[in-house]
Amino acid sequence: MLGYYIRLALKSFARTPGLTALMVAAVGFGIAACIVTLTVYHTMSGNPIWWKDGVLYAVTMDSWDPKSPYDSSHPELPPDQLTYQDAIYLFASDIPSAKTIYTLVGGALSGAPGQTIPLPVNTEATTTDFFRMFDVPFEYGGPWQSEADHGPEPVIVLSRAENDRLFGGADSVGRTILWNNLSFRIVGVLDDWYPRPKFYNLTGGGSGNFGIPEAPFVPFRWSTVLHLGPGGTIDCWGRGPGSSYEQLLGSTCVWISMWVQLPSRAQRERFLDFMNAYWAQQRRQGRFQRPLDNQLWTVSQWLRIHDVVSGDSRLLLELAFAFLAVCLINTAGVLLAKFLRGAPISGVRRALGASRRQILEQHLVEVALLALAGSGLGLLLGALGLRGVQAMYANGYSDYGAAAHFDSHGVFLALALATATAVAAGLYPAWRIGRVSPSEYLKSQ
Amino acid sequence: MSLNVRPILSALSRNRTGAILVALEIAIALAVMVNAAWIVAQRIQQIEAPSGIDARDTFAIGVAPLTSHSDLAAALREDLAYLRSLPGVISVSATSSVPLSRYGQGTSVSKDPGDQAPMTNTRSMEVDAATLDTLGVHIVAGRNFSAMDIRPATKIYYQEYPEVLITQALAHRLFPHGNALGKPIYGGDNTPMTVIGITSNFIPSVPDPNLRGYDVLMFPQVPGHFGVYFCLVRTVPGRTEALLQIAQRHLAVSNPDRIFVLAQTLGFYRQRLDAADRGVVIFLTLVTALILCVTCLGIFGLTAFNVSTRTKQIGTMRAVGARKRDVVAHFLTENAIVLASGVIIGCTLALGVGHWLSDQYQLPRLDLHFLAIGIVGLAVIGQLAAWQPARRAASVSPSVATQTI
Repeated sequence: MLGYYIRLALKSFARTPGLTALMVAAVGFGIAACIVTLTVYHTMSGNPIWWKDGVLYAVTMDSWDPKSPYDSSHPELPPDQLTYQDAIYLFASDIPSAKTIYTLVGGALSGAPGQTIPLPVNTEATTTDFFRMFDVPFEYGGPWQSEADHGPEPVIVLSRAENDRLFGGADSVGRTILWNNLSFRIVGVLDDWYPRPKFYNLTGGGSGNFGIPEAPFVPFRWSTVLHLGPGGTIDCWGRGPGSSYEQLLGSTCVWISMWVQLPSRAQRERFLDFMNAYWAQQRRQGRFQRPLDNQLWTVSQWLRIHDVVSGDSRLLLELAFAFLAVCLINTAGVLLAKFLRGAPISGVRRALGASRRQILEQHLVEVALLALAGSGLGLLLGALGLRGVQAMYANGYSDYGAAAHFDSHGVFLALALATATAVAAGLYPAWRIGRVSPSEYLKSQ
Repeated sequence: MSLNVRPILSALSRNRTGAILVALEIAIALAVMVNAAWIVAQRIQQIEAPSGIDARDTFAIGVAPLTSHSDLAAALREDLAYLRSLPGVISVSATSSVPLSRYGQGTSVSKDPGDQAPMTNTRSMEVDAATLDTLGVHIVAGRNFSAMDIRPATKIYYQEYPEVLITQALAHRLFPHGNALGKPIYGGDNTPMTVIGITSNFIPSVPDPNLRGYDVLMFPQVPGHFGVYFCLVRTVPGRTEALLQIAQRHLAVSNPDRIFVLAQTLGFYRQRLDAADRGVVIFLTLVTALILCVTCLGIFGLTAFNVSTRTKQIGTMRAVGARKRDVVAHFLTENAIVLASGVIIGCTLALGVGHWLSDQYQLPRLDLHFLAIGIVGLAVIGQLAAWQPARRAASVSPSVATQTI
């Protein structure tokens, strides 16, 4: 029977081609608008490392000014980075199964074969656990050994893009490159890695919350050995950074991020106790004059407090749904009119023995075909729309453009949602025509 | 034949669902149109807000050291001398931030010292004596820094500056009633900085496009101790891009001890700043236009459907004496009733949505002029959409009344 219903539906479309095209177009545009806005919203509000939610924690301590909170619009939140002395002290703890501290520093890569001018790079100075904690994939090689975090060995990890640019994409592991005019040995090259948002650095500094992860990566100690000032976001209060690098390291400024891996509840509690003991000891020496607020944040919580979803994204999503609603109401109205116009034909079929249910099924098939056609068009237009958004924001530092990425989850979510609502819109007209008594329409008008 | 509303109402009630659906479309369309137009107006205002800077004719080049031994101060002197020598260059200066871009610093100040004084966030900038000239900013009160006021290049991160410049906006924020000139203001460490000059407003570096302002605090300092300096260059109109290319090519090879972190016109940064607003304007306009189209098609469709199912009734009307004009008036009145119900619901919806939007997104309250224009516009377009089917109805022959098929 399904094949018969499909043929009936196609005949019905052919009878009013203009109207059918209009309905498909209306549904298509409504779905496309929803795909574009929902994809962006989904990317912005997504957790790119959700499987680590019970395991990874961001470490914060409120070292800020007793006179005023770090963020006046959210006074309960601590600074999202640590001071140098706090980061170094906490990093020494062996309670976590894995731990990492990192900060951005400026630099330049030179000395690659055929390279004429140095390549300025915002460099992530971090520790070896960074890569396995954040599931960073490697194309060649791997992270450096933990000895390099403490010892003098100059090792470096390049991004895929940098390796493509400087070494033509070849396996450069084992070769050397100059970073800030010093010779570093390449131990690894990353595969494509672009978590959206950049959950491990939501300060907005560097390439931004939705920007490409900064690379290359060097061991953290090189930032202090070379006296490199912070290249990302740094916030200070009171006397500020001081007048020398040594004073910067002992200052109130926060510029270092820290994450730990604490898979069990017992470990978490032990680490919190460790932080609190440190806090109490430092407070006796005059630091940490704000109320006790040592916190461990899961990735989800971290994303939520940073509120990375842009207001524009929410606004446009709401508008797109209003548009879809209008399109579907319109489609329901047109379908109702069309089905009622075709009532005499259904009347004849009823007279020939079709049950009410069969009439309903036949019209539902027509609705479903319409919804599918509309979804197909919507998918096409939506993909174009996403490309358009990317192009429009190509140079912008608006997070919206960077989040307009063809993420299959977001797109299919939108598609499924929209198709379901399109079918729902056609339910009433199909039900209505099923209820019509045939004799009414078999008489002459 | 006078217009009797009761037959129209009874005709409408025959196809209640269709009419309700169209009225609903109209209501949503009105709510969306009016609020979208309001938001577009706000965004266009922000796009057109003056930057206070001659952005089109100015470019910026950012320089950082290659190694920790690079002599940034010497490099800066050489670069400034070269840039000043280029024909077509009007003014050159060195700063610690690039207005309209993300590169810059901020701080907080207050007009009273002490622990309880409320602090005001502001952007800050290290400038030299030529910066105001390069940006096209002028002094409103007091004086500019002189060449002697500018502190020489240093490796020290943090110094105290007893004399500072501020913009009019910051002056007004700190001293809403009085004259800021000559008064001291205080940073986080409570040392006084005297305001020796107040400048016209301009947009400094912008870390977040949603938090734009004209508050700027300017320090007399040769930049570089943060590890980077920016040369701002104002050129004669039309030569900016060309001179940027020339300067870039020369500076790339003149000193191998340093690297470029950026080389762009300020116009480029202004475009980038407005990109989000422009995107919202385009999307809102597009979707509003589409909603209007779809609603018009709905009105057209409803009227056409009503006409085609009621040919016998129309024929009868004509047979008993109605003129063509009366038939058209009949259908237009029917449409007007649907429009009116849609508009009434739409008004409430529009005001409700407007109220909710202004809470959610910190917008000013909806201007009722937009609502009025929206209602009138939708009414006119709605009637126009029903015009053609109504005219077709008028051409139904009276003989249809007595036909049996």
